[in-house]
Amino acid sequence: MERKKTKSRREFIISSMRFGMVLSLGGVGGLAFRNSTKEQWVWQIDPFKCSWCGRCATHCVLNPSAVKCVHAYELCGYCDLCGGYLIPGHSARSTAAENQLCPTAAIERKFIEEPYYEYKINEDLCIGCAKCAEGCSAFGNGSLHLQVMHHLCVNCNECAIARACPSDAISRVKASGPYLMKGDFTSDGGET
Amino acid sequence: MKNKRAIITIVLVATAAIVAVIVAEHVSTLPGRRPANPFAYDVDAFRSVDPEMVRWQEVRQVGLDTDNPKAITYADGKIYLAADNELQVIGSDWVRLFRRAFPAEPASLAVDGEGWIVAGMTNHLIMLDNKGDKVAESELLPEETSITSVAILDDNVYAADAAGRRILVFNRDLERTGVFRGESGVSEFHGFIVPGGHFSLAVNPEQELWITNPGIHSLQNYTASGRLRSYIQRTSFGIDGFSGCCNPVHFTFLPDGRFVTSEKGIIRIKVMRESGETESVVAPPEAFAGGTRAPAVAADDDGNVLVLDFDRNMIRIFEPI
Repeated sequence: MERKKTKSRREFIISSMRFGMVLSLGGVGGLAFRNSTKEQWVWQIDPFKCSWCGRCATHCVLNPSAVKCVHAYELCGYCDLCGGYLIPGHSARSTAAENQLCPTAAIERKFIEEPYYEYKINEDLCIGCAKCAEGCSAFGNGSLHLQVMHHLCVNCNECAIARACPSDAISRVKASGPYLMKGDFTSDGGET
Repeated sequence: MKNKRAIITIVLVATAAIVAVIVAEHVSTLPGRRPANPFAYDVDAFRSVDPEMVRWQEVRQVGLDTDNPKAITYADGKIYLAADNELQVIGSDWVRLFRRAFPAEPASLAVDGEGWIVAGMTNHLIMLDNKGDKVAESELLPEETSITSVAILDDNVYAADAAGRRILVFNRDLERTGVFRGESGVSEFHGFIVPGGHFSLAVNPEQELWITNPGIHSLQNYTASGRLRSYIQRTSFGIDGFSGCCNPVHFTFLPDGRFVTSEKGIIRIKVMRESGETESVVAPPEAFAGGTRAPAVAADDDGNVLVLDFDRNMIRIFEPI
């Protein structure tokens, strides 16, 4: 009758170490796999919460800010008489710097047909101050609003603007849907 | 001597620490200590109204038992309210006389002198007699149609199509008989400019058809055949005109023919003379604090203004002081 073979202490320790190493390797591999496949998150502004406080221009770690004004073309009426960007008492209905609310004259317009113009923002000039967005919401239909531009944003762990935002309008959103454009989603977060 | 020096040192260090804390607190950007917005745009300045101009007072608020009020009008001592999928007719003592269900949500209402009612759905019209029985229905218009306002004048029914920037004309059987787009041939008038879903029309006590041209802040008077007869146009960030997109959103007439206009953006209701000058303010922006939508307006025989406040889901009555 064959005697049952018992493991020596040395063998037990070696097999335990092997088992532990395989387990660790599997864990590290699993974590690496999860990190490589899980959803990434980026910072973005909810335009329906934004209160145009100006801090996007002053608190971003980048200068000029990674926050820019965007134009929701689906909402805009394209008319000549846009109250969104004109200063009160403007001398002419044009995008000449003296007529714009924008401190850097970043708003440009393109003639479509009489009397319609398409408005767009020159991103290189925009500093994200939200002055035009406030004017557009007060007098227009709110089609001008702010967004974090992801080709500029460095995606800090703690967004300096989010920390300073008085209306809690900045939060992380999935990188697969990085922009919250008016017209594409509603104030309750649903898709239009 | 040694103790005295130590005490002085401690006092100096403590003083320096206190000064440092005060300075740090002064320059901090913590909530409540943040610097003012260097890009501030003082929109509130446009919300203030000279109290002398407010010549109306709110005398009553009537809550509504509906979820989605859409339109209000007044005729012959009755209030007509379109809400949810029905019409409600309310008597002068606020007793509901009858209600009628519609196959779709009505967006606009008009009533003629005999109590016949036209309700405008998004892409078709329904006419009821003064008992609320259906007497005519239009064909279904193309899906891209968006009827936002209706009016009855003589043998015609006019419907403002905001999406098509045009006025559709129907006869009393609600058969389409015409269309016009406000084009006058004069360069300043290139037709109706409708930047959003706000395009309104109404008939004044003189039986004249008036239509908004919201893209140029104008109220325009047209003949029955759609020819421009006269207009008033006031663009201003102040109370003396209209500003921004789509104003005036709604309007009606007082019994003496003055305009009552309702504006979005900076929400306010004011009275304009037939010549176009702003005469008085019915409800200043502060009456709609927190509101987002321009109220619909109607006027009764006594010149009281009935305000359908969509945000508060109520009818608010303003009477002249």
